[in-house]
Amino acid sequence: MTHETLYPGLYAAAPGVEEVLAEVAGSTAEKAREIVALREETGRLHADRLAGCAAALARAFAAGGRLFAFGNGGSGTDGHALAELFANPGPGRRPLPALALTSDVAVITALGNDIGFEVVFARRLAALGRAGDIAVGLSTSGDSANVIRALGEAGRMGMITVGFAGYDGGRMRDRVDHLFVVPSSSVHRIQEAQTTLYHVLWEAVQAA
Amino acid sequence: MIAEAFARRSAPGLALAGEADRIARACHAMAARFQDGGKMIAFGNGAQATDAAHLAVEFAHPVTVGRRALPAISLAADPGVLTGVARTAGFDQVYAAQLYPLAEPADIAVGLSPDGRCENVRRGLAAARDRGLLTVALGGGPMPADHALVVDSADPRVVKEIVVTAYHLLWELVHVFLERPGRLAAEPAP
Repeated sequence: MTHETLYPGLYAAAPGVEEVLAEVAGSTAEKAREIVALREETGRLHADRLAGCAAALARAFAAGGRLFAFGNGGSGTDGHALAELFANPGPGRRPLPALALTSDVAVITALGNDIGFEVVFARRLAALGRAGDIAVGLSTSGDSANVIRALGEAGRMGMITVGFAGYDGGRMRDRVDHLFVVPSSSVHRIQEAQTTLYHVLWEAVQAA
Repeated sequence: MIAEAFARRSAPGLALAGEADRIARACHAMAARFQDGGKMIAFGNGAQATDAAHLAVEFAHPVTVGRRALPAISLAADPGVLTGVARTAGFDQVYAAQLYPLAEPADIAVGLSPDGRCENVRRGLAAARDRGLLTVALGGGPMPADHALVVDSADPRVVKEIVVTAYHLLWELVHVFLERPGRLAAEPAP
């Protein structure tokens, strides 16, 4: 969709700044309501899957498993937020071993420079992980090559694999044990609903 | 439990629609700063440090092809500087101390806090205001800033989710205004 169709007022003959602000505010309110509806739909779609995944994760943690999260760009920051939430959940909650694979710039740039960007997560996972651990990959398209590669490596190592995606799930669809696809084609709305998904997953693991 | 957890998000999510006018005005002011050569400087702790990084990559590497890459950095991204300042000046100073040498008056400071009580974020916003920066605060409690969004939820995770939507909207609307630079000269009513 073009900006002309999203914000027709901006392109009309010189409206005042107040009219432009009102136009933009209208479309903003609409997007705020859109994510509320998408979040509710995502909750209905994945409630049983979240419960099953939380039970599997709780069993893995109880058996000594650790969680490794990874993604690129904004999804990389979600990997950090997810790992931080499990590891440092605040007073009265149980801290669980969790690490974001994007946390070490030296490792990422070394692997990227020496081998290629596709292996930056898979290689680190191969070195750090073991059977019974948990690998969590985040990708709005479900197609990020380095995320897909790391999930494949995790599966071969006997780790539990969890994937968060959007669109139609992409290549993540046949790569993970627990798949959460946000039914949207907006990168922003997908990331927002994914944030809720991993927050609720964490809450369910704590309650398990 | 899971259905209840999702339902808990709906009211604060809908409340964001009521903040649309405030968000639009913040974006108008931010776009004017970018137009004048300003950069964005974001900071927060824990989950909000990851949001600061997300904001920086959002603006610096646009998700929509053809949009301008805008200068944006996170003050939480460099553990060398962060732990260095914490050691010498204390953790409350980690953002203010980084801002002073780095910030220029045309810049934009974005402070994030789940409850508005993070002392280092508050000091960062105060230091930014001191230097003449435009200040924007996103979180779950009041903070001193030119434009502040307060999400009404006691759950820091719900606050974060609504704030993620808020900064996605900030990015999108900043570009709407930047693509019509004629609009930036006009000052809206306060």
